[in-house]
Amino acid sequence: MTENRLLVIGPNGIGKSNLLEAVELLGSLRSHRASSDQDLIHWEEQRALLRAIADDTEKLELELRRQGGRQARRNGKTLTRQLDLIGPLRCVGFSALDLNLVRGEPALRRQWLDRVVQQLEPIYSDLISRFNKLLRQRSQLWRQWRHIPIHERDSLLDAFDVQMALVSTRIHRRRSRALARLEPLAARWQETLSKHKERLRLDYQPGSQLEGEEEEEPWRLAIETQLLGQRSEEERLGSCRIGPHRDEVRLLLNDSEARRFGSAGQQRTVVLALKLAELELVGELCGEPPLLLLDDVLAELDPGRQLLLLEAVGEKHQCLVSATHLEGFQDEWQQRSQIIEAGSLNRSEEVR
Amino acid sequence: MIDQFERLPGIGPRTAQRLALHLLRQPEDQIRAFAEALLAARSQVGQCQTCFHLSAEPLCDICRDGTRCDELLCVVADSRDLLALERTREYKGRYHVLGGLISPMDGIGPDMLQIPSLIQRVDRDGISEVILALTPSVEGDTTSLYLARLLKPFTQVSRIAYGLPVGSELEYADEVTLTRALEGRRAMQ
Ligand SMILES: [Zn+2]
Repeated sequence: MTENRLLVIGPNGIGKSNLLEAVELLGSLRSHRASSDQDLIHWEEQRALLRAIADDTEKLELELRRQGGRQARRNGKTLTRQLDLIGPLRCVGFSALDLNLVRGEPALRRQWLDRVVQQLEPIYSDLISRFNKLLRQRSQLWRQWRHIPIHERDSLLDAFDVQMALVSTRIHRRRSRALARLEPLAARWQETLSKHKERLRLDYQPGSQLEGEEEEEPWRLAIETQLLGQRSEEERLGSCRIGPHRDEVRLLLNDSEARRFGSAGQQRTVVLALKLAELELVGELCGEPPLLLLDDVLAELDPGRQLLLLEAVGEKHQCLVSATHLEGFQDEWQQRSQIIEAGSLNRSEEVR
Repeated sequence: MIDQFERLPGIGPRTAQRLALHLLRQPEDQIRAFAEALLAARSQVGQCQTCFHLSAEPLCDICRDGTRCDELLCVVADSRDLLALERTREYKGRYHVLGGLISPMDGIGPDMLQIPSLIQRVDRDGISEVILALTPSVEGDTTSLYLARLLKPFTQVSRIAYGLPVGSELEYADEVTLTRALEGRRAMQ
């Protein structure tokens, strides 16, 4: 990128989103579109290679393989921990899908929050995958071993309780801390975007009862007790009733839930406020403004919100923007932007 | 032959090809000796009747070794872990090989592992301390917690975080896994 902003313009299906997704993967090891690496590899190929040069010096590579998983390399050196790839290419993505952040199921808000926490603390993704594994093992235990002796099953459930209580506590703490930091930022953006008409609150509703002060030991023991207490209900319903997998983040606009009572315009503004808060927080904590990825969403915003976004991003953030047409963009966006017509982007051209 | 090699753990297509080509260049009697060694190992090597380590005899070398401490018992998931611990030359007690870890997703329950025999052994042999040396994965920790509860009435139970990456990673593993909780009140007392 020679300019602060790179606009990738071209018809649908030309691969604009692929480019942005590749950057997202290299920057965060995650893709918001694909759930499995298999979907990211060309169907005739065994592997896919993503490569970027960041800050002119950091050479980042991520190889996706049909067999054997991922391999991450930094400056030619294979990394034992893929997480060490995160850093030079921190990014915050914003795509049309994100409107579901307000409208959709609680799981989508948890995923958003998890992405933020993970940017702040890469270790977090291990906690999440460990918790998901525990949940899967636990539900299999119920499904397969209804016939084993009760005391044996209870001993195994105890073993899961101990582990889940600890991992849950750590996830709850991190989520609640991240929300506490995001809330004032998001509220400020909402206020600006709504011209002081709307007050936004992020209300954390943990899936475990967290009593008292935020402390690991009491929380952990409380969750252990709750896990034990819900067992008969769990047996009946087939799923564990306590834990961060049942967290909800209620988005309140002037004290009523934006999901149910907000207009489409208000919901869009809330998404924008949340994303801008994310951008600000990640930038603040990492000491460097992250790259902003806007996949096919800018033209959807009315000129007023576009302008506000432009102001918010300012000169601080590099932006990678995709769109089908240039016309939707304010002149201010087009000025001092590097523009690539995706139709003319041939294989050998380097986008640096 | 390449396919056969590829099925082995840790062997990719390229290594499989290299091994196959190497074997094809060997004299025939050497190939025969190799094939016979494989078959002999398969038919002769069974499990030690006491600790369930791989052994050609009813009792393995370690169980027969009179110089080792009888009161100390180290529990490992499989023979590979046992061999890795032996290489450190630090441990002088006996072993018990579970034959896997508890994992409902893989259909592996306590009854499919050498757990009843472990309880029996601890009860019968006057073991004063059991050391659980299982990887700190979900399955490893589940198995450790389960065993700790079962064994507590009989003996002292401790745990080494075997399989953890060494050095700087320790702190990190502690954050994600359960080392601290396992040492806590409820688990291992
Ligand atoms: Zn033996």
